[in-house]
Amino acid sequence: MEAYLYSLATFAALNVILAVGLNLISGFCGQISLGHAAFYGAGAYAAAVLSVAGWPFALSCLFGALIAGLLGLVVGLASLRVREDFLAITTMGVGFLFLGFVRKQAWLGGEFGVSNIPSPMSSGAMTVLAMGIALAVIALSLHLNRSWMGRVFAAVAQDDDAAQTLGFDVARYKLAAFMIGTASAGVAGALYAHITQLIVPDAFGFITSITILAMVVIGGIGSTWGVVAGAILLTLMPELFRFVNEYKLLVYGGLLIVVMRLSPDGLAGIVHALAQRRRG
Amino acid sequence: MFHVELLVVGLIQGCMYAMMALGLTLVYGLLRILHVAHAGLFTLGAYVGVLTANAGLPIGAAALLAIAAAAAAGPLLYHVVYKPLLDKPPHVALIASIGVLIAMTDGFRLLFGPYGIPFQENPWFVTGWSFGGVFLNAIQIALAIAAIVLIGGFAVFATRSRMGVAWRATVTDPAMAMTFGVDPGKVRNLAFAIASGLAAAAGVLVGLLNNLVEPGMGNIVAYKGLAIIVLGGLGNVPGTLVASLILGAAESFGTIYLDALLDRDAIAFVVLIIVLMWRPHGLLVRAR
Amino acid sequence: MRVRVIRRAAIGAIAALALAGSALAQEPIRIGFHVPLTGFAAGDGNSALLGAELAVEQINAEGGVLDRPLELVVYDDQAAAEQAVPIANRLLGEGVEAVISGSYSAPTRAAAGVFQKESIPYISAYAIHPDITRAGDHVFRTSFMGEVQGRAGAKLVGDIMDKQRVVLITLNNDFGQSLAQGFKEAADQFGIEIVNEYSYGLKDRQFGSIVASVKRDDPEAIYASGYFFTAGPLVSQLRAGGVQAPIIGQEGYDTQQFIDIAASAAEGVIITTSLDRDTEDEAMRAFIEQFEEKAGFPADMVAATTNTAVHVMADAIRRAGEVDPQKIRDALAATEDLPTATGHITFNELGEIRKTVQAQVVRDGAYHRYAVIDDPELLAPPSQ
Repeated sequence: MEAYLYSLATFAALNVILAVGLNLISGFCGQISLGHAAFYGAGAYAAAVLSVAGWPFALSCLFGALIAGLLGLVVGLASLRVREDFLAITTMGVGFLFLGFVRKQAWLGGEFGVSNIPSPMSSGAMTVLAMGIALAVIALSLHLNRSWMGRVFAAVAQDDDAAQTLGFDVARYKLAAFMIGTASAGVAGALYAHITQLIVPDAFGFITSITILAMVVIGGIGSTWGVVAGAILLTLMPELFRFVNEYKLLVYGGLLIVVMRLSPDGLAGIVHALAQRRRG
Repeated sequence: MFHVELLVVGLIQGCMYAMMALGLTLVYGLLRILHVAHAGLFTLGAYVGVLTANAGLPIGAAALLAIAAAAAAGPLLYHVVYKPLLDKPPHVALIASIGVLIAMTDGFRLLFGPYGIPFQENPWFVTGWSFGGVFLNAIQIALAIAAIVLIGGFAVFATRSRMGVAWRATVTDPAMAMTFGVDPGKVRNLAFAIASGLAAAAGVLVGLLNNLVEPGMGNIVAYKGLAIIVLGGLGNVPGTLVASLILGAAESFGTIYLDALLDRDAIAFVVLIIVLMWRPHGLLVRAR
Repeated sequence: MRVRVIRRAAIGAIAALALAGSALAQEPIRIGFHVPLTGFAAGDGNSALLGAELAVEQINAEGGVLDRPLELVVYDDQAAAEQAVPIANRLLGEGVEAVISGSYSAPTRAAAGVFQKESIPYISAYAIHPDITRAGDHVFRTSFMGEVQGRAGAKLVGDIMDKQRVVLITLNNDFGQSLAQGFKEAADQFGIEIVNEYSYGLKDRQFGSIVASVKRDDPEAIYASGYFFTAGPLVSQLRAGGVQAPIIGQEGYDTQQFIDIAASAAEGVIITTSLDRDTEDEAMRAFIEQFEEKAGFPADMVAATTNTAVHVMADAIRRAGEVDPQKIRDALAATEDLPTATGHITFNELGEIRKTVQAQVVRDGAYHRYAVIDDPELLAPPSQ
């Protein structure tokens, strides 16, 4: 049974990395992104292509992060021009564009994706690596939150016009958030490619983006530990919900509605509310 | 001739997008909500249409029933899901809407099976006529007519009737509208009813066109609809219509000429991103 | 839906009684089975599960395997690799020693890696990606590779039907593209000139621009790949648009739903597949009849190949003499000319099947035999 738990833990770790990264963009900086899977995919493809060509695993992963970060920079720059309401749909567009482009490129495997990606280490070792990186990303996020950068992010999320008049170069901070968030998605993608050994375009579609966003919102947008909890919960859901097997998507949809209705600040919101009540 | 045919086919597809996008822009204009669950109402209409038609109802009655069902379901959705969330940040309503869509899609699958349902009697999707070399089947023509009639009807309603003017006032300035005695609740219910009815009409027509009603059939249309309403300028009805037609035509040509470069579904979003970079407020919106 | 559940329960009850009749205080032999039961792939998953369940019933009705009943351990993977990998590990943890995939390419390939590492024999029922069997010598596939079927299509069109100017309409996924690849590979051999190629996505249902283009090309035949939910609309729209040329499809069309959707437009459509409705072959005949009785709708190819996969695995276990993964794997590799629902199964060195291709035509609203393509050289799958 251990192998099973390890593999669950591995995917939970990947989802934590994705959710914490998205939280940087959406939670800290207020930029709702519906296309996070594009950066996940960009990292996966970049790393996979290098690995298949014979490059060492570590370098492939770094390359994945780099490409995803660069893509994040480009999208971030584009997002600056666009009004807040439009941003969500623009990011959705980025997601579809990424997918629509990648599936047509023969050098990226087209519809067949990239296959025969070498497995660089045992599954157990991969689990440890994934969890390690997840912890590092969490630490980074917490540090950023408490640092001056985090304070600026919070100001920007609240009211970026006000932040601008206070003299902050809002653009720079938004871009920084985008790049860090997307680079971490790239690392997650690189790991994913080496675990599954075959990546296809459909693994990085709109549904994946929504799932990651759901983890963030259910966990509590803006709260690092909240989104960690959200990521773990949603990873375990298919396993936990095997007893409602046939109805699991119905339950999932219902869960999203109920959580938004009862606790829009997600799990973090519930925890805070309980803590407040205890303080009296 | 070939290019004319591509254009006409594209414009008809654009009519379908227009029927979906109009509803989305109505809801957004009023409530600032990205009503992703709109796709579910499209599909609901299609299912009601196919099930009643297969049970023996003539297609006109089936379509009306579908529209009525959706027009009832839309406001219900508003009351149960969106209304309690109006004072929350926008991502809350968005996630809730996504939850509704996921639940509805799976609900359709559980109720009606994963394979989809064809119309048992559908002579129209293979009957057609040639208009100077461009071949259109009966449903494509019906789609174009329905779009013109329904959207034209809505335009008349919005400009000439009391309710319509009240709606437009509420969009522009809710507080002011209220001082004039406009009931925002009524306006919202009406907006959802109209939006959902239009979606259902589109759903039935597309179901006939494909001769297949599937659980997820509305989803990709809704996503493109979101791109369209941004292109048109959120809340801007004429802009939305123009954007819908442009997208339909772009996809038609893109399927043939951009085939090696880009997937058809991505075309909508490429157009969106390019236009937004050039005019960040949308196509027809004059910067305020 | 409910009728199907009741019917399934009834057949299950009968099977259970049959079980009680045979040598059944015995512990069952458990075969792992992962399949998309919810999510976008639920249709194929449902067919695959029914095909597999029927196989278990058929096998147990004849006394089971090695005097023990067969049992499926079923998990829903939603056609996602990130669910298939934990499921694979879970099956291993539960002590399952043979597994069948009723799912799509990405989850199958991901799970194949896990099973190959642990030396567990694994059969992919219908997932199409060429690299699945390259995961290792413990991985087998009971459906045609896309390129093999594509080559058969070329022979069908160029040789048997004697059409030269052909337009390709290709579904943009691994299935459609491998079919097109195979067709193009063999096109010259059979004198086919490919006038133009168009493609469409899995979600497309409107083909107006492609129809207009095909009309302009005026080909002698159209080789169009797709599944029933794309092929149905595509074929209808081609005919409605005035295109008369014969349309040739593949096993993705091989479902009753295709005929229901395309209605009169389906008449005359020819497909390459593995099911022959006019067969005299006992195993195939039995499957076709029993499946319709169990499921309430006519058999489709996904159900058929999954049914085959279970029978192939059961047969290998019998020949292995015991439930030992290595012995089962060796027995699988040695499978030769085994009669199944989809024809006689022989594996090559890579674990791919060598088999004849059936060509069926839609006549009077049902599939019937059109031709048989039996060219071992042409149909030979890659061996590494």
